Amino acid sequence: MKLSLSAAAAPGLELEALDAACRARGLDGIELVVAPAGDGPTLAARVRASRVRVVALRAERLDDSTAGSLAHLSGELGVPASAPLDEVTRGSLPKLVRVFADAGGTLLAGFGTDLEQVIAATAALERAGVPPSVGLAWDLRPSSEDLSSSGAVLLAARRHLRLVRLYGGGPEQHQQDGRGIGPLLVDLAISGYGGPIVLTPSAPAELPRWLAWLASRKSAGCGSAHPSGEHEVDVRDVEPKDRLGTILGAFRALPLGATLRITLDHDPSCMYYALEESEPAGTFSFRKIGDGPEVWGAEVTRRAPGAAAS
Amino acid sequence: MSTIELDIRIVPPREKHPAIFRTFDALGEGEAFTLINDHDPFPLRRQFEATRPGQFQWTYVEVGPVVWRVLIAKSAA
Repeated sequence: MKLSLSAAAAPGLELEALDAACRARGLDGIELVVAPAGDGPTLAARVRASRVRVVALRAERLDDSTAGSLAHLSGELGVPASAPLDEVTRGSLPKLVRVFADAGGTLLAGFGTDLEQVIAATAALERAGVPPSVGLAWDLRPSSEDLSSSGAVLLAARRHLRLVRLYGGGPEQHQQDGRGIGPLLVDLAISGYGGPIVLTPSAPAELPRWLAWLASRKSAGCGSAHPSGEHEVDVRDVEPKDRLGTILGAFRALPLGATLRITLDHDPSCMYYALEESEPAGTFSFRKIGDGPEVWGAEVTRRAPGAAAS
Repeated sequence: MSTIELDIRIVPPREKHPAIFRTFDALGEGEAFTLINDHDPFPLRRQFEATRPGQFQWTYVEVGPVVWRVLIAKSAA
């Protein structure tokens, strides 16, 4: 899996700035969004000169007049280009196969989490003789799609699946319901999928948060812990990577004998294991409160070293 | 050489640990997967030790500062 970012997340940023922001976030590359009337050769030259790591192209529209230029760009950069399935099936598949094959490019038809649609798309590819120049991309919208059939969809699409595009993630992750992404990622992993996963905003209204997220590796734009009272900390708005530090900091600031109440949106067992690993034995006691499914709590009491834990 | 990679960064918090354990439990003996994360998953190692003692090997492949990769293998019986 190569986690990447769509340029749709930051339409105003120059390529180089976007690439730098991706590196700071540990992302493997960029999906370039190609405008229908874009200048392909100029874009290809810019990408090559900047050494920006482009992993895929995206075109929201595809017709006879733009397919050729997209195919050339895909061939020039050696990365696949995706477009919505409707845009691909509107034209003639044999013709698209030929255009992309001639240019040395790859076209990926982006399907939604809809089993019938995927079966129809794979059947069309198989009728066309499974051409190497055409495949499938999964346009995954966890906030608006039912992911309960995702296992069956993956099974149907697996042979042709070369790209996963996730509408959400990034700064949207912690507020998304997201139920179903975990099991889906597990199925993808076990199926051996090693291709790119491109993060892209779920709606234009989310763009300011993506910009803030990209501008800072710290928790800007992603909320921060708010102490909800004395010795209380709520980390639901804290980025996962910063949660442990926030909780350990609050715990170490506790007076002996005091209890820290923690509020989380996941099972706090991992915090118990984290304390066990990082604190001297016998210096805390831990109690889980509640059992989700939305909110969990825990109480951690600071003990004097050597004092009997209760 | 494992080809199974699980990038846990995009999984919502409450589904992270269940997803990791599901992946591990789906492995055959001697198989492994690479876990990718944006912080050191050391508490997870403790949790593996507590819940699956002697059944796994834990090898750091990349240790930050931005990305951590751990090869988690299921021990052969």
